[in-house]
Amino acid sequence: MSLLGLEDRQWILLATVVFASSFILGAYSALKLRRKTGRPYMLGLVCFGWILQTIGLYARGLEYGGCPLANRFELVQFMVWSAICLYIFVGPAFRVSLLGVFTSSFATLFSILSLAIPSWDSPERFPIFGDSPWIEMHAALALFSYGVFGILALTSIMYLLQSRSLKTKSMGGFFPFMPSIVELAHINTRLLWIGFVILTVSLIIGSVYWTGDLASVDTLKVSTTATVWLAYGVLLFFRAKQSVSSKRFSWICIGFFIAALVSLDVVDQQPSAKEVDTPPDLQGS
Amino acid sequence: MTSDRQAFLLLSINHEHVPLEERECYSLDEEQIGHLYQSLNDKGIAKESLVLSTCNRFELYACLPSSEADGRHLVETLSTFHELDFMHVQNHAKIRNGEEAIEHLIEVSAGLRSQITGEAEVFGQVKEAYARCQRYRHAGKVINRVFQKSFQAAKLIRHTTPIGQGQINISNVAVDLSSRIFGDISDTGVLVIGTGDISEKTSKALRSRGVTRFGIASRTLERAEEVAADWGGEALLLDEIDSYLNSYDTVIASTDADSPVIMKSFLKPLLAKRKDRPLFLIDLGLPRNVDQACQDFDEVFLYNLDDLAKIAEDNLNERQKTITESQAIAHEKAEAIWSSLLKRELG
Repeated sequence: MSLLGLEDRQWILLATVVFASSFILGAYSALKLRRKTGRPYMLGLVCFGWILQTIGLYARGLEYGGCPLANRFELVQFMVWSAICLYIFVGPAFRVSLLGVFTSSFATLFSILSLAIPSWDSPERFPIFGDSPWIEMHAALALFSYGVFGILALTSIMYLLQSRSLKTKSMGGFFPFMPSIVELAHINTRLLWIGFVILTVSLIIGSVYWTGDLASVDTLKVSTTATVWLAYGVLLFFRAKQSVSSKRFSWICIGFFIAALVSLDVVDQQPSAKEVDTPPDLQGS
Repeated sequence: MTSDRQAFLLLSINHEHVPLEERECYSLDEEQIGHLYQSLNDKGIAKESLVLSTCNRFELYACLPSSEADGRHLVETLSTFHELDFMHVQNHAKIRNGEEAIEHLIEVSAGLRSQITGEAEVFGQVKEAYARCQRYRHAGKVINRVFQKSFQAAKLIRHTTPIGQGQINISNVAVDLSSRIFGDISDTGVLVIGTGDISEKTSKALRSRGVTRFGIASRTLERAEEVAADWGGEALLLDEIDSYLNSYDTVIASTDADSPVIMKSFLKPLLAKRKDRPLFLIDLGLPRNVDQACQDFDEVFLYNLDDLAKIAEDNLNERQKTITESQAIAHEKAEAIWSSLLKRELG
């Protein structure tokens, strides 16, 4: 759908260009000029990209009259939007140097991927929320938690890089500007809490509808979602008990996020013929 | 420049062209600087002047009538003041005029002309010299404008180029690494094993960055108490290290022991109780005080004297690479300051 003279995908393309520019600017500044791009500049640039992406997603949403979560392109875009949203509104409280650069690289990578694979943006797909705003909220919150887990994967990468640089005594590149490993370890734990709570709320909302009609959602979809939730829950439990080292925790967070992304493929499955016959207001995500 | 104008001159005797043994005789203490100002005042040579005396340089910035702008009067004043032969002083002194003098001042303030490129201490010394000059009422329109604008230019260089980035002395490198491990180091505890010049400097550097909790461990409690009384901290017996090591985050080891005092086998049970808290081991001993195998633990970060020295050297090399860029800024700013002085008919 067109909004303010541009198609939704064009807005998203522009947002991707802005995300890529902020990544290039931040990386060039740190690696070549050996100075950090000021947080206000990075935040401003990422905010600008996020506004462009919001316009694109809003235009797409107008087409459906709801949240644009109908196909893989939209799922990925919504996850990126959530991650950026978290960086803009919660990131400043964390005061993590270079988080803007890493988040921009994350947004650029996934945006380019979703724009480059035409089959992901299948026009035949349709939103499955029916007229239930709760199911829509369930799906949006679940995707938002994936965005949080995406940022968690990024800060985990930052932890591993910083830890490795200290171990190998390499002092150049990004390393002088990155936060300390102790700060990154604390941030990782907080992000896991945030993501897990959001995913839990999302699943509670979804389960209310699912328990009302068990056949409305594929068993594979339910078990995959439950596995992702359980995996992060178990990790949180061990982290709270301090029985998993920060290094191992970081590797697990990255692994879980990759697994969660793969699980999106299952979650994104089109409803079976039986589900299509089911009245829309009883369908789960 | 018209004849009724003034000239801005610099007489500089510094480490770049005068060796230490000859530079020594130009070094002035606070009282002597006062006498030199008095001498300049009595002879009425300079309308305004500023004396900068550090361990690496003696510099005299002066505002003279343009007829005396060749600097002979400054050399003469200095040779009389130090009771040295005129030619002797003239051979050591470099005279710079106008824009060149301002450019030199900016470069000195930004640390471009320091022996250790990019060091920040000299900026404080120049500021102090300026404050002293104001106290002696030797700063007028020209000195005030030149120095204030030059300070801005020096700050610009230090903020926009990497000239001052990366620590270049071993103690500060250790503090920097500590920040990269712990973030805010003021909450961390530092255990110092053994005494030595570098470990004292490192402790001082950590203290200056907010660390308050220190433990001083030695073979005898008397020696530990003696050092603790001097440096500050809790005196501890080295033989009981396993009972208190876990309450510290950074360990500075610099004993003259023949074999390592911290072994991998010793750390293993202690680390299990640390609950993932990193341990920063700084080994300043020769022979080494910490078994290299301790580095195998994920949460242990071990740096020895060579590691710290190499980081300091790499940082210094990086600073030196940016000198040309910094000099270009200094040149541009000096040009602007000088032309603004000419416009105001001060130069």
